[in-house]
Amino acid sequence: MTALLRRHPALVPGVLFAAFLLLAPVFAQRGMLNDLWNMAFFVVLASAWNLLGGFAGQVSLGYSAFVGIGAYTTVLLANAGWSPWLTLPVGAALAVAFSVAVGLPTFRLRGPYFTIATIGVGEAVRVIASGLEFTGGSSGLRMPQGTFDFNANYYAMVGLALLTLALVAWLQKHAFGLALEAIRQDIDAAEALGVHSTQAKLTAHAISAALVAIGGGLFATNFQYISPGSVFDFRLSLTIVLMPIVGGMATITGPVLGALLFSYLQIKLLASPTLRDSYLFIYGGLLIVVMLFEPKGIVGLWERLIGLRPRRRAQPPVGEARRAS
Amino acid sequence: MPAENGKILAVSSVSKRFGGLLALDSVSFEVQRGEIFSVIGPNGAGKTTLFSCLVGTYPPTSGSVRFRGEELKGLRNDQVVARGLVRTHQIVKPFRDMTVADNIRVGVLYGRLRLRGAKARERVDEMLSRTQLGHRAQVKAGVLSIGELKRLEIARALATGPDVLCLDEVMGGLNPAEIQQAMVLVRALRDSGLTILMIEHHVHAVAGLSDRLVVLNFGKKIAEGRPGEALRDPAVVAAYLGDETKEEARA
Repeated sequence: MTALLRRHPALVPGVLFAAFLLLAPVFAQRGMLNDLWNMAFFVVLASAWNLLGGFAGQVSLGYSAFVGIGAYTTVLLANAGWSPWLTLPVGAALAVAFSVAVGLPTFRLRGPYFTIATIGVGEAVRVIASGLEFTGGSSGLRMPQGTFDFNANYYAMVGLALLTLALVAWLQKHAFGLALEAIRQDIDAAEALGVHSTQAKLTAHAISAALVAIGGGLFATNFQYISPGSVFDFRLSLTIVLMPIVGGMATITGPVLGALLFSYLQIKLLASPTLRDSYLFIYGGLLIVVMLFEPKGIVGLWERLIGLRPRRRAQPPVGEARRAS
Repeated sequence: MPAENGKILAVSSVSKRFGGLLALDSVSFEVQRGEIFSVIGPNGAGKTTLFSCLVGTYPPTSGSVRFRGEELKGLRNDQVVARGLVRTHQIVKPFRDMTVADNIRVGVLYGRLRLRGAKARERVDEMLSRTQLGHRAQVKAGVLSIGELKRLEIARALATGPDVLCLDEVMGGLNPAEIQQAMVLVRALRDSGLTILMIEHHVHAVAGLSDRLVVLNFGKKIAEGRPGEALRDPAVVAAYLGDETKEEARA
């Protein structure tokens, strides 16, 4: 353990923070616990998204679909008499199936075309959920009585956040993480070296979809009421993308820092009568600042501050610009 | 089987059409096991397109590519690599934010050998030393010189464990000393049992290394044979230097 900490100094604040989250119910007020719950939820969303969007570079703007699939599965099955806990793996399985169904056609697209396609998918799911009878249409659905247990839900969400981080960190260290990295940096070269890019992308998509759907299921149990506007919201998809971008994509700590920042911002902004309607402006402004000054996000800024990385890397030598013959 | 006639790769009537452009026009040739076989021709002749059709970057419009008796047409690039045919890229494609060692590791982990653990590390080290990149193992590939990047292309492709290595202009942009070094490397690779298929512009390298070659011009094969004969073929001379008789006729 000490050897591990010495090799990865970032683990020290990480472990302390995890301990704080796990012990918080002992001493903290309910209001603060709600905020911490929300933060853990954001860590799940941002870190899971980062697997596909950060490491593999496939920026999806449709992740609210997985939150919604998880949430609706939990509410519908709970109303059919299931224990909310048992609904979580079902939601995850449905999200995996949906991620593959969406991934097979959209992963043929590259770059911005993939991103644009995912916006369409996310919106389509919202419209469908609003129109169907059994999902309660646009007015949504309520959880059955007696399914609310804040403390259990809190521990589950914090546990899910820690599991997500551990899983992503483990994958990053192994062959799969290298394949995703290769796909992001040059997909043609990755394929030319034997990486089955579609399979790798589908796998990353499925893993992150499952994690996000479990988070959505816990969200439904915690809020006891869901509607297409709360879980299939495009603004939620947008927040999921912004957290890793602002924090630092393709890193473990980046999405966590992004989640901390955005959960704090959301609490402050939604509580402020003057700013609550303009929070998207503030998010947009943040995004512009990050893109202009530090595309590697808060993590990149930190690395630059402590001198790990010079401001500009040496420019790579220019390859032959000759026409391919 | 291949061992009897020695034929490892058979390209038959391969054509590739991009819209109105016929980039490859019914090209056929065979490569023998253990050979250094070159594909030459002026810019735009279709050489790189040919490589892309062989490894499955995109499929040929028509024709067939048989590798050790098996049809490759219709396979994805990664499936072709798994069978032992791999290419490098003329315009180098390093993973710039990865270390040189990790670049090679991708080929070791996902190529034909799919090694893991200590065996994978050993193979990465072996590739580094064979391509003289050992001292650069832990730097980001983005900072390498063009000569080093060309060697990294070879190292990564070689790491996958191929039978046939397709080298796309690995000497382009190198200085004379580096070209000499690259020629030694290519010969050593062949001597270690590989079959080399290479696109090259450098005439000295082509003549010095190739056992046989084909010449492409405007997507068509215009000559084939040993370098001494094929390079003197009037059609080849005309393709490279222009046809004097036609020039005179125009004048």
